Amino acid sequence: MEGEQRRPLARFDAEDIGHDGRVVLQGLTLALHEGERVALLGQSGAGKSTLLGELRRRLGDRAAWCPQHHGLVPQLAVYHNVYMARLPEHSALANLWNLVRPLRRPWCEVGELCAELGLDGLLRRPVGRLSGGQRQRVAIARALYQSRELFLGDEPVAGVDPHQALRLLALIDSCHTTSVVALHQRELALSHFDRVWGLRDGRLAIDAPTSELTLADLDTLYPDAASPGVGSRPRDADMVLPGPEALPCGRGRP
Amino acid sequence: MSDGLAQRYRLAHGKAWWQGDSIGLRLARHSLALVALAVLLAPLADLAIHTRDPWGELGRMAAGLAWPAWGALESPFSALGLTVAVALWGTLAGVVLGFPLALLFARSRLVRAGCAFVRAIHELFWALLFLQVFGLSALTALAALAIPYAGIFAKVYAEILEQAPRAPRDALPPGSGRLARFVYAELPLAWTQLAAYTRYRFECGLRASVLLGFVGLPTLGFHLETAFREGRYPEAGALLWLFYLLIASLPWWGHRRLIPLLLAGGAWLLGPWPSVNGGLLWRFVSEDVWPAPLLAGDWTGLVTWLSRMPELGPAIGNTLLLGLLGTVGALLVALALWPLACRHFGNRGTRLAGHGLLVLLRSTPELMLAFIFLLLLGPSLLPAWLALALHNGALIAFLVARHADVITPGMPGLPASGRLAYELLPRIYPGLLALLYYRAEVILRETAILGMLGIATLGFYIEEGFDYLMFDVAVFLLLVTATLNIAVDALTRRFRPREAPIDDPCVR
Repeated sequence: MEGEQRRPLARFDAEDIGHDGRVVLQGLTLALHEGERVALLGQSGAGKSTLLGELRRRLGDRAAWCPQHHGLVPQLAVYHNVYMARLPEHSALANLWNLVRPLRRPWCEVGELCAELGLDGLLRRPVGRLSGGQRQRVAIARALYQSRELFLGDEPVAGVDPHQALRLLALIDSCHTTSVVALHQRELALSHFDRVWGLRDGRLAIDAPTSELTLADLDTLYPDAASPGVGSRPRDADMVLPGPEALPCGRGRP
Repeated sequence: MSDGLAQRYRLAHGKAWWQGDSIGLRLARHSLALVALAVLLAPLADLAIHTRDPWGELGRMAAGLAWPAWGALESPFSALGLTVAVALWGTLAGVVLGFPLALLFARSRLVRAGCAFVRAIHELFWALLFLQVFGLSALTALAALAIPYAGIFAKVYAEILEQAPRAPRDALPPGSGRLARFVYAELPLAWTQLAAYTRYRFECGLRASVLLGFVGLPTLGFHLETAFREGRYPEAGALLWLFYLLIASLPWWGHRRLIPLLLAGGAWLLGPWPSVNGGLLWRFVSEDVWPAPLLAGDWTGLVTWLSRMPELGPAIGNTLLLGLLGTVGALLVALALWPLACRHFGNRGTRLAGHGLLVLLRSTPELMLAFIFLLLLGPSLLPAWLALALHNGALIAFLVARHADVITPGMPGLPASGRLAYELLPRIYPGLLALLYYRAEVILRETAILGMLGIATLGFYIEEGFDYLMFDVAVFLLLVTATLNIAVDALTRRFRPREAPIDDPCVR
């Protein structure tokens, strides 16, 4: 109730969203309010990234962004990857010099942030030589270092063990008033977020507060997981094969 | 039921097995058509042997290579030093000119066209051109390398930068400056590949630098040509070994940390610099290279000027024919040689030998090979064909073998023939063909240059034009050559198979 009275940060009114002239999400009606923590669920390819990309475009400078597959530069050190969050705030010359010799203030700030994320002592190591989980945390550190009021994350806790996922989400919450996070862990969506947006077949199938939802409701978002193989004609066999992320044994679930 | 099925298969067996649109069949048809075209046109080429005793000559050359006369060499180290200095500074100048162009490459049609043009003319032709202005000097050598390399670097750097992953760039916060975006999210991702390509181009530069000796610059090629021409094969053998040692030891002396030292030393070797006469230079650019009737605005005169052109038709025909034969020859050589250097076949000894053979053929420049075959076989298209097929075939075979090495066969314990035909060839053939098509443009560029040895391609008439100071004719023929190259490049790009090509910029 309270959310309805607040000014929405972004609003969609029966809009078609896509890219390169291809509609991915049809007739989307949606509003994101300040202070909400939204979990974005749906099968792989349901349009989660498209929706997040559109939100990022509309929110511009107000949103910190943590992209899918990190979008890190493996050849650069952890420090430089995190520093990239504040490239626009420094002059071109300072940015260049920072590659040669780290600037003092950002170096200290990034160091503190990384210590909080358990990346202590790795500041100078190239991201390409980190483990998958460490890279994930570098990506989150970069999003946090943008220090915005809003957080948009495309599977920021994919492939992280459940305890760490909780810790990371708590850290994200402590730094941002509002967040939209795409994820696959349904239990986490119910336990940790205020609201769920569920995408299925190019439409918004669920838009409800988590208090009104059960795990069974969320299962309807994953039709392939329910009965794998049943009713699949041989001709489009590869179309109905569920992706690894859509399988009932979702990664990182307790 | 199963009888009917068997019957159906029996009927279908052997019927139109070549039809169908699987990748393998399509590429097989494609290659066979190419080979058939070459076989059909081969009778048009002059492939005769004009010398009396090619085998005896070959024996003497082999003996020279086997027992090189190290003592007979005069100042080999200054030639060696100059070869390296020209290659190093020429490549560096190419990078300095080419890198900014690479950043404009995608955006400017003018830059793309200009780069295609300077690329289409071989280093040696550029050398012939600059020779008229700067004389036999280091400036000629550097400009001859730097200008075509700038065009090549611009294109390949632009391609490498474009293929770098986009995710990091998209992840940057809005408002990051263009420069910051480039140095943080584009350059680091492409750096390894850019460096590898620059290194490869430097190796090409070494070969080109050797070849500059053929137009008179005192690099290694100058001494090689003289020794070969005068039949002093033991001395030529020693020089060839010197060249192979230079290439083979590149990883040690060409180490990243040694480059500044080499550059400084090279700069000292390059001197003395020529004094450029501005007036003469201007006359060359504004008058000498243009047809006189064109400058006078005399259109009928221009037609007679064109009609006095040396036999343009046959020259173009020979160039294209040799290009086609060379390409098909390279395909066959590559198919025959790649298993020699591949870990799936033979034993340690055969692999080492095969590897050595490929490196030898790959490192010897085509012009050098063609020159040696020319001494053996006389001036027909045959020596040029052999040289093109062997050099390029070996280069492709080398890359293909390296790619086959990382494949793990799914069925262990197959006999070698089964491994070759069922496991490896189907996987690497699309890549092999793609490499061949990339290489076809280079082959055509080399074809033109082989004319300088007396083979009747366009290069023969270009050199003649420069020799007789008919700069207008020479430059016109250079333009024809460039146009031909650009056209063939466009053609091969259309026909290049796109299925899983072995993506290695180090063939261009």
